[in-house]
Amino acid sequence: MSRKIRILISKPGLDGHDRGAKYIARALKDAGYEVIYMGIRQSPEAIVKTAIQEDVDFVGLSLLSGAHNELFPEVVRLLREQGANDVIVFGGGVIPQEDISFLKEQGIEAIFTPGTPIQKVIEFIETNKERVLH
Amino acid sequence: MLRFHTQTGGSTLTAQQPDNNIVRVTIQTLAAVLGGTQSLHTNSRDEALGLPTEDSVRIALRTQQIVAYESGVTNTVDPLAGSYFIENLTDKIEEEVSKYLNKIETMGGMVQAIENGYVQKEIQDAAYKYQQEIEKGDRVVVGVNKFTVEQEKPKEILRVNPRLRKVQSEKLMKLRKNRNNRETEEALQALREGARDESVNLMPLILDAAKAYATLGEICNVLRDEFGEYRESIVL
Repeated sequence: MSRKIRILISKPGLDGHDRGAKYIARALKDAGYEVIYMGIRQSPEAIVKTAIQEDVDFVGLSLLSGAHNELFPEVVRLLREQGANDVIVFGGGVIPQEDISFLKEQGIEAIFTPGTPIQKVIEFIETNKERVLH
Repeated sequence: MLRFHTQTGGSTLTAQQPDNNIVRVTIQTLAAVLGGTQSLHTNSRDEALGLPTEDSVRIALRTQQIVAYESGVTNTVDPLAGSYFIENLTDKIEEEVSKYLNKIETMGGMVQAIENGYVQKEIQDAAYKYQQEIEKGDRVVVGVNKFTVEQEKPKEILRVNPRLRKVQSEKLMKLRKNRNNRETEEALQALREGARDESVNLMPLILDAAKAYATLGEICNVLRDEFGEYRESIVL
């Protein structure tokens, strides 16, 4: 029996620009996933705690203030440190193109920048969900 | 008079063909001025790509100055007065605003409406609808879902020197060491006591604290201790 994919969407850091994160959360919910939306100004610690408690498969991070190179890798690091080795992390927001390869090296598997159609995010989840469904 | 500030729409900035954003901001600036705004913030063209560069910020400022000094729009108090279409739109907005205000009033006021998530839900529904229209192509965004180009020239992006963080925290440590800490403590304590009394204007106390070299963080921590922090009511 297949279960529903669970996705946590949250905003680490201090910027309040949540239009994109809320759009992604709602669009993924409409696409049939279980979405937990944590809201703005979350610490990496709080995000990881919720991810583990809620037993999510994916964590989506949104950031528009420029602190992504510090905060996105910190979420991945804390997840792994606490044994959540399978959780797949992706991100989005105002992320300069030249930072994307660094973030991927740090374990953020996909970065969706402004103007990305929601279908691309859904494709990413569909392509990778087999890794977490077991 | 209804005094208001306007900011051009951050959500209308595109990462694709970002120089087009100058044109978007110009149109929005003109609209704000024609609407009679008293204060205006113009966004920079590259804000969907990164923090704005000095050049981009200057263009955003020049946009206001060109509208103010070159367009002639400021020669008349209300250039659109008497336009049938605009007056009609104004009436419509007024009508819709009144509906909202009445509805919020029956909910027990704005604070209650925000705590219920009503206001957020209205904004989110509008944002969701707008984005869906773009996804479906019902709404055209030039350079995003129409008139796109294959390969875009990379744009120069502002890089914040990571060393600045170290420089700033060292300055802060030095400040904390060299200021008269007893004076700072007293000013913060006075602020704390003021915050406990609803009738006290906190602004002079905040100024005193700043003059005693209390940091923004220390001032905010006092207020956080006394008032607590805003907790977002999550609605999707």
